[in-house]
Amino acid sequence: MLRALTPHAAPPGGGSLLRTAVDPATGLMRLASAAVVVDTVIAVVFAAALAGAIVRLPRGPTVFGPWLILLAAAALARALCGWAALRCSAQAALIVKSNLRRQVLTAAFGALAGRALAGETAAAAIDDVEAIDGYVVRYLPARAAASVGPIVILACAALASPIAAGLMLATLAPFILLMILAGTAAAEASRRQLDALTRLSGVFADRVRALPLLLAFQAEDRATEQVARAARQVSVRTLAVLKIAFVSSAGLEFFAALSVALVAVYAGFSLLGLLPFNLPEGLTFERALFVLALAPEFYAPMRRLAGAYHERQLGEAAAENLQALLAAPMVAVAQTAGPTAPPAIQFTKVVAGFADEPDLRIGPIDFTAAPGSITALMGPTGSGKTTLLRLLVGEAALVSGTLAVDGQTLTEAGAFTPSIAWAGQAPAILPGGLGWNIALAAPGSSAGAIERAASQAGLAEVILRRGGLDADLDERGGGLSGGERRRVGLARVFLKNAPILVLDEPTADLDSESEAAMIVAIRQASRGRTVLMATHSERLAAIADQVVRL
Amino acid sequence: MTASASPIRALVRQEQRRQASRMAIAAASAAGAAAAAVALLGLSGWFLAGAAVAGASGSAAIMAFNYLLPSAAIRFLAIARTGLRYSERLVGHAAALKALAEIRPTLFAGLAAAPVDQALGLSSGEATAHLVQDVNAIETLFVRQSAAWAGVASILVAMALAALVNPWAALVVLAAFAIQVSLGAWIGRNRSRDPAGEALRAAGALKDGVQAYAAASAELRCYGLVEAAVDDLMRFDARLGAARRRSWNAMAEMGALQPALTGVAAAGVLALCSHASPAMAALAGLATVVALEGAGGLLQAFDQAGAVQVAAERLDGVLAAPPVQWGTVQADWRPGITLGLGDQVHRLNPGEHWAVTGPSGSGKTRLLEILVALRDAGPDEILLGGRRPDALGPQACRALFAYAPQDARMISGTVRENLALADPGASDAAMLAVLGVAQLAEKIARLPEGLDAWIGEGGARLSGGERRRLSLARALLRPAPWLLLDEPTEGLDAATEACLVAALASHLARTGQGLILVSHRQAPLGLCDRRIDLSAQPDSDLPPATSESDSEADLAARDHARGVVMVG
Repeated sequence: MLRALTPHAAPPGGGSLLRTAVDPATGLMRLASAAVVVDTVIAVVFAAALAGAIVRLPRGPTVFGPWLILLAAAALARALCGWAALRCSAQAALIVKSNLRRQVLTAAFGALAGRALAGETAAAAIDDVEAIDGYVVRYLPARAAASVGPIVILACAALASPIAAGLMLATLAPFILLMILAGTAAAEASRRQLDALTRLSGVFADRVRALPLLLAFQAEDRATEQVARAARQVSVRTLAVLKIAFVSSAGLEFFAALSVALVAVYAGFSLLGLLPFNLPEGLTFERALFVLALAPEFYAPMRRLAGAYHERQLGEAAAENLQALLAAPMVAVAQTAGPTAPPAIQFTKVVAGFADEPDLRIGPIDFTAAPGSITALMGPTGSGKTTLLRLLVGEAALVSGTLAVDGQTLTEAGAFTPSIAWAGQAPAILPGGLGWNIALAAPGSSAGAIERAASQAGLAEVILRRGGLDADLDERGGGLSGGERRRVGLARVFLKNAPILVLDEPTADLDSESEAAMIVAIRQASRGRTVLMATHSERLAAIADQVVRL
Repeated sequence: MTASASPIRALVRQEQRRQASRMAIAAASAAGAAAAAVALLGLSGWFLAGAAVAGASGSAAIMAFNYLLPSAAIRFLAIARTGLRYSERLVGHAAALKALAEIRPTLFAGLAAAPVDQALGLSSGEATAHLVQDVNAIETLFVRQSAAWAGVASILVAMALAALVNPWAALVVLAAFAIQVSLGAWIGRNRSRDPAGEALRAAGALKDGVQAYAAASAELRCYGLVEAAVDDLMRFDARLGAARRRSWNAMAEMGALQPALTGVAAAGVLALCSHASPAMAALAGLATVVALEGAGGLLQAFDQAGAVQVAAERLDGVLAAPPVQWGTVQADWRPGITLGLGDQVHRLNPGEHWAVTGPSGSGKTRLLEILVALRDAGPDEILLGGRRPDALGPQACRALFAYAPQDARMISGTVRENLALADPGASDAAMLAVLGVAQLAEKIARLPEGLDAWIGEGGARLSGGERRRLSLARALLRPAPWLLLDEPTEGLDAATEACLVAALASHLARTGQGLILVSHRQAPLGLCDRRIDLSAQPDSDLPPATSESDSEADLAARDHARGVVMVG
């Protein structure tokens, strides 16, 4: 709670990410901040109207009527300000999140590509971006209000009664002191408990994740006991932390109440003239009521800020994750155009790995693919076939050894992407027509060339059935079978005039008839290209000039 | 699904009954704190006005004005409001935490008893994260309940104070409250719920899309399509963003309700109190302002009701199946196994060592999962001692096997806790013995905490190879008639693998356990004298590249003829 109220150093990384991320929406955030500050000013008008109306009640509707209208108008204006502030900051959050999400997605196909869990990491990053929502919409405006609001209130109260304003201010000093003490104690208590709490709160999720294992070992009853024990300890330990943590919110309540009580008692005694000393300010009933109505508003912005503490924590934790993700090195991009005729590809003592998995090493591998030859990489799942292929496009790290294409090394080239036509297990299908999807491999291709490539890949029947090359595909090719999608991938290969063809498990999960047809198409696509393919299929490997077993 | 058939709601109701006294205290504290806040400002206003009148009327009036009682009451209310608020929060959270401490294990037991295909579905990170979020959403049912009591209490106090001046003023307060609640509930129902569901769907579509494109990232890079893919995915971002903005806009409307109604109601109450003394008017007016602010907490509960409903429905889906009671079998039952796979039939006698081979995707792991009843048998004819697994029941099946799965999954905890899954009563000596067979004894002995070393979340502090060997040690510790090992030596260097295989051979000779081994590596396959080959495709009309008669030697000879490089 203390941390919500005192500006402190931003967490490493996350803070700067949040600052830059909010930049494009600065205008909207200024509007939102302005709206909450105007709201505070109108709160002063509301208090003045309330006091003015009550004082003038005995003088009849014509006198108090305008004040009541002012009162209602001020309230409506406050409603409008709050509404506008939230809408502005929600629109700002939309921009901030879109901006971050684009960076995360780009990283997903760059820095993350080739990681063991690229897809899942990206999915988690998408949740992290969403966690910024509350930070932008609720915490940032609340912070703006809390930094300006109390000063505005105090200044206006001082105009009516400097002493009442002084009383409000006087409650602030012990309040801050209590916040520091309670904050330190709570931080200390939670630090002591944090490790244990994190472990214990994770037990439920951990045991759910390990459920198949627990069932296989018939350990579910004991696991249930462990979950129960951990949950009970979480409740006991969390309560111990909360007992102290709630002291700060109780302090907020207490001093908010105290400032009201002090102002009321002072003003009452002053109006009665019962104060033991003479005051120069000459407090009137109306001014007294005005400062009394203002007193709760003095602490209101700080209470709202404390209410947004959770959003702040979530946002900063998410920003820290995202910062780490976006700071990861991007994958290499091709520096040169590369060969145009089928090249020789030479693996010399190649050891491949991933930056994020230092334990995982593939190789050393030695082999040479002769120009225009077909090489099949075979080996069980996890043996590193795909990793070796990804080396060529810069998506895996070359730990040691040399990988050269026609004598040019991977280190010089960065990646060989311009020279490669790639067909994987699940070719990417973008929303659009079938022909357009094939033409993505070589933009500007003529309709005739696209049609030729499609029929070479064996798509003639599909095109006929779908009513032409222009027929739209549904969402990411949902209507195509696995075999048809791979034929789209092959059609791209025929269209792109690339001297290297890389095939990543092109026949996995196909029934034997489609596999046989696919093998014929692959053989045709291999003409005039140096081919590397990862496969489990002995039938596909049979067309290879060389088989490398991992 | 009707409310009465909702298992999670029933569970929540049961815990609400058990925590009834705490929740009552929290509700009473909330109500008291809200009432004190209303009374504090109302009384302060009354005191000021009274003092002003008395002060203006001269010393006699001042002497007659009882200032001690109201000023003491003001101080009392300030302290009461603080104390009650503290008690509300602490007791409310205590109730929630204690209830959740009961709900979590019950939920876990329910999951463990659910049909087996669900267990495999829940083990992905995404599914588990959903489940944890849903349970957290249920927690708000306990914490938020006091908001309603706080709202009602502040309104009642304000009505009572207004009624002292003019009963119609009390009605104005009630009307404002009623409008606030019904409009809030209407906004919650009609403007918050849809976007919440839409945001969930859009986020799901976005994640699916990312995963689909990430699988094709090399292709995207070769054809320069990364930007096009990102643009495509940003359509879902736009949908998600629009849905979230609609949610916030609904919240903005709810947030605007309270100040607008407060102003109109305060003006109305003051107009109705114009005949009364300024003191009484101040009392009613200020109380109205604070009371309608206090009722604002209710609106948040409306905003969250939708999310709680969605969470409860999902949890119900997980818990829906009723647990089944199964018969028991003798503890020392050592049955043979009959595997009818396609047109092959294999009879595995107790104590025999079998290898299962075949290309990936041919169902090796699936076969082991069927045996330990983590998967339904499907069309395959599998008999344990002549009886079908679905007739025996999962517990009887599982008792027959000690399983080291391919993913070598660990629970977060110590080495000892992981080994104890296999045999809770195992001695240190027994644990060290199986670690020795798995070639891990030295590594564990080097750790300062030994068996009590924390291995990190899901075993993250161990390398992949160490995890695999610990998983093997765990299986060896379980005294079951059959040992099921899925790729136990994957990723080991040849020397360690040789030591491990030799130690495993003598372990098997000692225990007389049967072995079903899935592996592609030669060394462990040497433990087995019989083989099941899953690569034969009887429905193939082309001659299969690898027939049942194919030995590794044949394969190697054919590779040699084509110029094959052996690596690793």
